[in-house]
Formats: sequence, C-alpha cells, structure tokens
Amino acid sequence: MINLAQKEIAHTFGKFIVTAMGVGMLLGIVLIMIGVYRGMLVDAQALLDDMDVDLWIVQENTLGPFAESSRIHEDMRDTIKVIDGIKESAGFTFQNLQLPSKSGAVRVFAVGYDPYGDINPINPKRLIAGRVLQRDHYEMVVTDKTAFQLNDKIPLGRDIYTVVGITHGTVSSGGDPLVYVSLKDAQELQFLYSNARTRNDRARGIASTNSHMINTVVARVRSGYDIDSVANDIRRFKHKAVFTATQEKTLLTKNLIKMASKQIGMFTVILVLVSTIIIALIIYTMTLEKMKEIAIMKLIGIPNSMIVKMIVQETLLMGVLAFISGNIFAHLIYTKFPKRVVLEAPDAFMLFIVVVLASILASFVGVKKVLSADPAEAIGG
Amino acid sequence: MNRQSIKVENLVKNFGKGDSLVEVINGASFEVNKGELVALIAPSGAGKTTLLMMIGCVEEPTSGTIWLGDEKVYENRWLTKETRKIRREKIGFIFQAHYLIPFLNILENVTLVPQTNGVSKKESEAFARELLDYFDIEDKAESMPSSLSGGQNQRAAIARALANKPQIILADEPTAALDLKRSVDVVKMLKKIALDQDVAIIMVTHDEAMLPLCDRILKIENKKVVSTEVPKKSHIL
Repeated sequence: MINLAQKEIAHTFGKFIVTAMGVGMLLGIVLIMIGVYRGMLVDAQALLDDMDVDLWIVQENTLGPFAESSRIHEDMRDTIKVIDGIKESAGFTFQNLQLPSKSGAVRVFAVGYDPYGDINPINPKRLIAGRVLQRDHYEMVVTDKTAFQLNDKIPLGRDIYTVVGITHGTVSSGGDPLVYVSLKDAQELQFLYSNARTRNDRARGIASTNSHMINTVVARVRSGYDIDSVANDIRRFKHKAVFTATQEKTLLTKNLIKMASKQIGMFTVILVLVSTIIIALIIYTMTLEKMKEIAIMKLIGIPNSMIVKMIVQETLLMGVLAFISGNIFAHLIYTKFPKRVVLEAPDAFMLFIVVVLASILASFVGVKKVLSADPAEAIGG
Repeated sequence: MNRQSIKVENLVKNFGKGDSLVEVINGASFEVNKGELVALIAPSGAGKTTLLMMIGCVEEPTSGTIWLGDEKVYENRWLTKETRKIRREKIGFIFQAHYLIPFLNILENVTLVPQTNGVSKKESEAFARELLDYFDIEDKAESMPSSLSGGQNQRAAIARALANKPQIILADEPTAALDLKRSVDVVKMLKKIALDQDVAIIMVTHDEAMLPLCDRILKIENKKVVSTEVPKKSHIL
C-alpha cells in the first residue's frame, strides 16, 4: 500500500524540514526553560551538597540562613559541639557582595568559614586551581565565573584580598557565583561598623557592636545517633531553630525558588501551547494547499481513513522532527546562558510525550478539513 | 447477454427548497451500453456535470433510479453506504485537467486505486505498466507529473481511470484544454478504450467537432435527457 504521507513529505522535503526546524526552535526554548528550572534546583543544592552537614542551627523563629536572615553568637558553635551526638560543628556567615573588577562590579555570594574549623565548605572536586583558605585573613577563593585569576588583588571593605584558589560550578541558590573568605574577615565585612558609625553610636550612648556573630552553626551527627532526636534536643535546650539537611533543602528548593519555578512553569506551558497552535496552523495550511488533491482522492474512491492517516502521520512526523531539532538547538546554545541550565533526559522524554499529544491534537484541524472536503470540488477546474 | 452498463430512470435533481427550489434534472432516463462512447452535451449550467456526478455516486439525486452494471445503486436513496467503494471499484474518472496527485509518480498515481482495492503491489504495477505502455508513456512510469507534458499527463490520467478495470468511465470535458489535434487523439483513444476494455464511457463535451467520433449523443433538453444520433463526420476529422 502506498504511504501517502511519506510520498508527500518526500515531495516537499525541504519545506517540511525547514518548517519542522522552525517549530523545533520553539521546542528548544521550552527545553531551555525547563533546563533553567533544573539549573535553579541544582544551584540551590550545590552549597548544601558541598557542605554535607546534618544540621543547620539558626536564630530562633527564623528560616535562616538563606530563606530569612539569622544572627547567632559565634560561641554557639562550641555549645553545639558538646551536645551529645554531635560529631563536628562550625560557624558560617553568608552575604552578598559586589567585588570590583576591571569589567565592572561582580555580584557574588560570600561564604565565611573558619579555615581551621571542623567543616570545610569547599568541595575538593570543585577546586580547579590553587588551594583552600589557609590563613585567617585577606585570602579569598573565587569561582571561575567571576573571571578573577590566582593572585589577583581584590579591594574589599577596609582590606585587600588575594585570590588563592579557584573553584568551578559553585553558585548560590540565587545563581550568584560563590566566593569563600575566612570567618573572621566575613564577620568584619558583615558585622563590623565603620569608624564613623562607631563614633556616632558612642555619641548616642550605644555600646560598640559585637562582631563575633555568625549566621548559622552547622553540625554533623555521630553515627548511631538519630538526627531528628539531636535536632529536637537543640531546639528544646538551646532555643534555636534547627533544620535537618533535608528540611534545609526543602526550604531552598520548595520555598525559595517556588515563585521562580512557577514563573518558568507558566512560560513553559505557554510555549508548548504556542507550539501546538503553530503546528496546527502549519498542518491546516498544508491541508488547505492539498484540498484539490484531497477532493480528487475522495472522488476516485480513496477512503477517508487513508487520507486522515496521511494528515496524522505528517503532523506526528512534524512534531518528532521539531522535537529532534529542538533538542539539537537546545544542546547547542544552553552553555551560552549566564545561569546554569541543566538538560535532563527525563525532561526531554516528557516533552516528547507532550509534543506527540500536541501533534495529534493539532492534526485534528487538518483532519476536520479533510472530512469536510467535497469530492465534487475536484470537477470544474 | 446483457450489454447494459448504465441505466438511469426518472432521475430528478433539485437544489434548494420552497421558493428557492431549482430544478436541474427532471425525469432523465437513458442507458449506456458496454463498449459505447457517449457524448453528453448541453448549454452551460444545464446540469451536465451534476448528471455526471449523480451517475458517479458523488452527488445524491433527489429521486429516481440508477443501475451500474447489474447493481441497482440508487432508488430514491443510496442503496449502499459505500458509494466511495462503488466509485473505487466500478468507475473511472477523467477530468478536464489531468489532476494527477502531484506528490506521487505516474506509476503510483495509476496504482493508487487498485492497491486501495486490495490488489497486490506487484499485480497492480504490472497492469499499470501495461496501461502506460498502451498509452506510450511506459518510460515515464517513475517520473513525477510535474516533469511531463500536458498530453502525457492526460494520458497518465486516463491510465489511472482504467487501472481499477472499471465498468464505466465518466469523462468531464477531457478535451477542453487541448488543441484540436490533441482533442481528436484523446477522443479516438477513449473510443478505442471503450471497445478494447468493453467499458461504457460518458464524455461531457462542449466541442461539437468531437461528436462524430462518438457512438451516440445524450443531450439535456428541458431538464430531460434525449438520445440522438451522431452527426456525419466533419471535414476536419
């Protein structure tokens, strides 16, 4: 049996391919949008995964340190450390900074940690050049996206920092590149007021601010201890908010980027709808162009099922080709985006299913036109 | 032996209803036998194509009876739901233009209907090649219609009309777009087909020069069909 769709596509191959590629670019954007969302999830978890801790202890009644601001005293680290079941603990600060560079200010997310402490947030696998912090002051490890090089000097606050290490793929939940400074430097940057401010406060009778504050204490629990039980003990006796690693991840992925993911989800749905409408319009136009031939086929006795099959097969092939070209397009451009884009096979598979369903839906407009074609139209020029 | 291929009795076709009712055919009755080439003539708008479409099971009559071969297909209603199957199996159509499917090559155009009827690819292609050879375009079997001349395409279209071994061929002004010489060639070819394939052919035409080549003339007069003898051969033939 002659396959009408195959013959028709072969006859208009160039036009068909170019049309499919056009729709494919739209589908490529859909894949990129999903990839941006996946990238946000990966970014949100990158720092948590690198730190690999069991508990996050923050200011009471807050969702800190990322979702809400949190301030606790630095010595809380030692208090936590002696609690039964705690293996290691460390104090951390987190803050956004603007680093001056030759190409303008670079917005970064600074992680302050104790270079001599129990927990080092720099994943050795991500360190691509130099070393981790080894001194209490004026050293900085930057991520490669900041474009700083080893031994670059970066003026920040009252001091000048030297780049001693470069990491790759380290970003904050907001997608800002991470830099690492010592806890002492970070505390000065975040909590120490300028001389003028201190003088002004003194004149107002306000005591000097204590800069020995941190945003969170993180801890690892000894094996054999139940993490939730240890967390409950800290909540009850130390009057702090405590989140397990899972809860902290949920805070970041479900709450912090919830709106952003909804936004992206909306865009994705709209793009899929637009793609469906475009495929439907293309198939409708292609069917209109063939109305004379369809009328002749009906007149000479070709059954509707054979003509409908041609339309549906063409639409499906259009969808599949568009999906393939969209995938190629997405893989060609996704590295050019400033923020992380993660293209995953399951997402592509889901999109494929959606495209197939959308194509079947889109083919209905062509099929409707076929069914309404009057074979008598074939006669009379 | 029954030679009747088409029989029409009291066929009526009206368009519209009430005040806007238009009678096109009112009580047409005629027969066409196997091997006959019959011309159907009438002024423009008199209902030639409508009559052809009713015999071809495309347009539903208002009333009357139609036999195609031994099968009564219409008696005040279609007697089968499968009018398209009747067209596919019993009728061949030839149009003013060739109307070949542009995305199928000549061989595929000719074998499309037989293959749809369930004839194997091998068998349908063998018969199609015979037909193309008969029309002297066998070497164009793999060509696309766009690469053939108008005359070659028209011959391919006639081959397509014959490919399902029809009992009846309905030709709607097949010579309208051709010059006199080619028109004569086509009508002579139709006459030869009628005899060789033993099929009944009704040919709608406006070209009086073609009438002497036909066996008989059916003329629509006062919404009825009248059968007349063909005129004597014209000097141009």
